[in-house]
Amino acid sequence: MKHKSTLPAVFLSPALLILAVLALVPTVFAVFISFQDRELSRPDGRFVGLDNYLALFSDRRFVNAIGVSLTWEVLTVGLTLLVALLIGILMFEYAGPRWRSALSLMFLTPVILPRVSAAFVWKFAFHPLYGIITWPYKAITGQPLDLLSDPATALGTVALVDIWQWGLFFAVIVLKLLETLPPQPFEAARLDHARTWQVYAYVAIPMLKAPLISLAFVKMVESLRAFDLIYVMTRGGPGITTETLDMYAFSQGFIESGRISYASGMAVLMMIATSIVFTVIWKRTRA
Amino acid sequence: MSAIICSGVDKAYGSVKVIEDFNLAVADREFIVFLGPSGCGKSTLLRMIAGLEEISGGDVTIGGIRVNDLEPRERGVAMVFQNYALYPHMTIHDNIAFGLKRMKVPAAEIAERIRTVAATLGLEPYLERKPAALSGGQQQRVAIARAMIKTPEVFLFDEPLSNLDAKLRNHMRVEIARLHQSLKTTTIYVTHDQLEAMTLADRIVLMRAGAIEQVGTPAEIYGKPRTLFAAGFIGTPNMNFIDVTIAKGDGAGGNGGWVLESAGGRFTIEGARFALKPGAKAVLGIRPPDLRAVEPGSAGANLLAGTADLVEFHGNDALVSFLFGGIEIGAQVKATVCPRPGEAVCFAADEAHIHLFDKQSGLTLATD
Repeated sequence: MKHKSTLPAVFLSPALLILAVLALVPTVFAVFISFQDRELSRPDGRFVGLDNYLALFSDRRFVNAIGVSLTWEVLTVGLTLLVALLIGILMFEYAGPRWRSALSLMFLTPVILPRVSAAFVWKFAFHPLYGIITWPYKAITGQPLDLLSDPATALGTVALVDIWQWGLFFAVIVLKLLETLPPQPFEAARLDHARTWQVYAYVAIPMLKAPLISLAFVKMVESLRAFDLIYVMTRGGPGITTETLDMYAFSQGFIESGRISYASGMAVLMMIATSIVFTVIWKRTRA
Repeated sequence: MSAIICSGVDKAYGSVKVIEDFNLAVADREFIVFLGPSGCGKSTLLRMIAGLEEISGGDVTIGGIRVNDLEPRERGVAMVFQNYALYPHMTIHDNIAFGLKRMKVPAAEIAERIRTVAATLGLEPYLERKPAALSGGQQQRVAIARAMIKTPEVFLFDEPLSNLDAKLRNHMRVEIARLHQSLKTTTIYVTHDQLEAMTLADRIVLMRAGAIEQVGTPAEIYGKPRTLFAAGFIGTPNMNFIDVTIAKGDGAGGNGGWVLESAGGRFTIEGARFALKPGAKAVLGIRPPDLRAVEPGSAGANLLAGTADLVEFHGNDALVSFLFGGIEIGAQVKATVCPRPGEAVCFAADEAHIHLFDKQSGLTLATD
């Protein structure tokens, strides 16, 4: 019996060791330097206790970044799921097997694209002078349309690219989930005087509740890491209207002032906040 | 009025025709059973009437209205599925209420109707549970309640008892029969179980390979099977079949009856019930309970003698199998007088119980 209990440990330990080095060391180091006043221009630093954290709460740019991050999460997660459900159901309802395969292949392509490439492609498509999307507006009105430079539309436009990548991908997943469901409850509902949309709203989607919640979580985690997309498309601008927490942390730490400890403080707060929020939501939805 | 009329109904998947020119008139309040082996098209036909499958050709009318192009919900039908098809995320109450809510029935009336239906089917204790917390029999009762509460013009049952164990099946069969007695709703019931068909049906529609083999009351189909298939499919234990060649009897004046020559022996009959032709190949059928036991070694006409090689005990009676002219014959005898394996047995086939079918077409040779 003894070797049975040690064998798993033997196999697990190398992987855990690598994980510890890759994940734990930076995390612990970030926590460590968030209590110092390190800057990139100086090799040393001293402990300043909670100064960084206290400063953050009176930093209006930080508060703005929290708002932008929250908006970004709600916008991208909500719309991604909405688009996925809509397109997935349309495919399930109207497309035959061949069309389903063809469309699925098409809808999988965007997410395979590295996000930086996607961001560049779309940034060009939204270009006020040469972009294909803004071109009709320019042709009709004679005025250029600069969505990415307008504070009112910048965040939404970037979110559009995120939804283009993930919404279509999730649509394929939704289609496959619908295909796994037994058809009889749908047929029963159709005989039970349900219209087509009611069959989905009252029977199909509730039957997929658990996998849809999992998808929402995947997207929530994924949306938190939208740094590359925003960095390429707007760099947080115009002004700070698209500056999410990670964008702000990055500019504090590396671009503007090199205040690496201050940025680490932000990162640590983000980590704690997301851990708590995700745990609460997870427990709530599972109950 | 909710008579159902199928005229010239076809169903094709691409170029494969599964049902061709199906004609049937179901009277108002009638209990019709579609019976047949799996893959004979009976479920497909039911789903076409329900509106879940498209009708490739012909017309279906319910209560005088052509329903070919109507949505399922517009046809006034309710259906009970083989695997219950309950909404797994809803409570039993919500499952039953779903249809009424979609029909925008007032909440007070829904509550009242659920109370009545739940009382009828004994579902009151389970209304707040989810389907997964119920046994198969209870789930099927919920499915029946869900169909019943809409007070449909037509009930459709698609093998509703196939997923239940034998005891529960008997119980539910009785419940369905009672329900039809009190509701009198026109019903089409699909099954491959002949016992269900015989006990429930006003009329049975016996199907094979997408076509009707015979339509009739259970007694008609059992007593006067129109085809070899019908004779073999209905009745447990199965009818015995013996290949025979028909010849004129040797009595004088042309009224000497007929002789049926088989590998195991000859049968002489008067043949008044049958349209017979000398020299024709035919199949003689006789049901195991219709074979009359006689003393082994006795002389006489129409005897099947052999050595019992298998005796199946059924309780009240037993099924004795023996070889007769190279064919396995089964005979049903009282269990108290049943022979042991290895003993000589002899049975008489009385003409009144003999069925004759044309060997080639499989059609009955009986004229009545």
